[in-house]
Amino acid sequence: MKHLMIYIKKEFGKSIFDYLLLITAGVLFLISLNIFKGERLLEFVILFIFISFYILWGIYHHIIDDSLHLKVVVEYMLIAFTVMFLLKIIILP
Amino acid sequence: MNSLKNILQNLFIPHEGNNYRAKSLQLDFLTYYLIFALFLTFGFKIVGNKSGEVLGYATDITIDKLYQLTNGVRQQNQLPTLTFNGQLATAAQKKASDMFAKNYWSHYGPDGTTPWDFILSSGYQYEFAGENLAKNFLFSQGVIDAWMASSSHKENILRKDYTEVGFAIVNGVLNGEETTLVVEMFGRPLLASEPEIRPIAVKAESPSETKPAISEKSVIIAQNSTPQYNKIRQFSFNSSFVFLTFLLLAFVMDLYFANRLHVVRINGKNLAHLIFIGFIFVGIFLLTKGAIL
Repeated sequence: MKHLMIYIKKEFGKSIFDYLLLITAGVLFLISLNIFKGERLLEFVILFIFISFYILWGIYHHIIDDSLHLKVVVEYMLIAFTVMFLLKIIILP
Repeated sequence: MNSLKNILQNLFIPHEGNNYRAKSLQLDFLTYYLIFALFLTFGFKIVGNKSGEVLGYATDITIDKLYQLTNGVRQQNQLPTLTFNGQLATAAQKKASDMFAKNYWSHYGPDGTTPWDFILSSGYQYEFAGENLAKNFLFSQGVIDAWMASSSHKENILRKDYTEVGFAIVNGVLNGEETTLVVEMFGRPLLASEPEIRPIAVKAESPSETKPAISEKSVIIAQNSTPQYNKIRQFSFNSSFVFLTFLLLAFVMDLYFANRLHVVRINGKNLAHLIFIGFIFVGIFLLTKGAIL
């Protein structure tokens, strides 16, 4: 657990702006979902924006981190689209 | 037992054998997950369409459950339970169908129709009456929770003047969106000796703009869904939930062991994935909630 906490502190310390950006986007995503709850199309649009942002964030973060690789981009895309399709079942079945 | 241990170790713990990345998070497995998600999204839709089911609506709301929950909260507040009334249910049904037909989301129709018109037209003469509306909720509990969280709706549910209740759950297309409407009508029948009619109006809303009416054919009564269809919907929702929990666990395990072993590797940031999935998890709970009026 100690190693994990050290890693998290180190990672946040190294890329505080990036993570703040991601957390801010996440909070905005939740606020928007709460405001437009019950509006299915808008909910899906909000989800799609957050998913797209996440992929772009991943690319941006790894460029800054100097660790960008095609494998990494594919990983972000696969996770993001899997989540999008799973949530689509709930929003727009 | 050993082989199971090896499989789990390979799936969740980074080591030399899996190139220091949990197998469950490697690109080939992530691709399988995407295929699984696509199968859930489109597979069931195709199967459902072939079997004649309408899979455009995914709610697990039932009249029985709503009735049970409404009476449950009344009992918790030391109030007498409400009797189910078929005429109020018909009125609720008419109201929901009218909302789809005239394309509005309000207590009052664009032509000035009031909830009381539907109650009276269903043959129910009332002394007191009230209406609660909800749309696009996934679960009955969510509908009651949202109503109880709103003072005006809570007041309706807990009003001691009401003795009877009727519900309608209707699916249709509202403002171009597939929508599940829940209408709850409360009432107390007018006794022959009491001529006064006193509707207890729910908070009045200005009627929404009149839009082109849609076909009555798009209105489907939700309670007509077969148990098999409900099982498919429940399975889709549960699968999404279980899968995201599995993914979250896999990322935590991989992050923990990779840091313990001081592994340097080229892949996405697990911490970022965890933050992302965390927000998605909270989002799922928000998505089960709809709007009330």
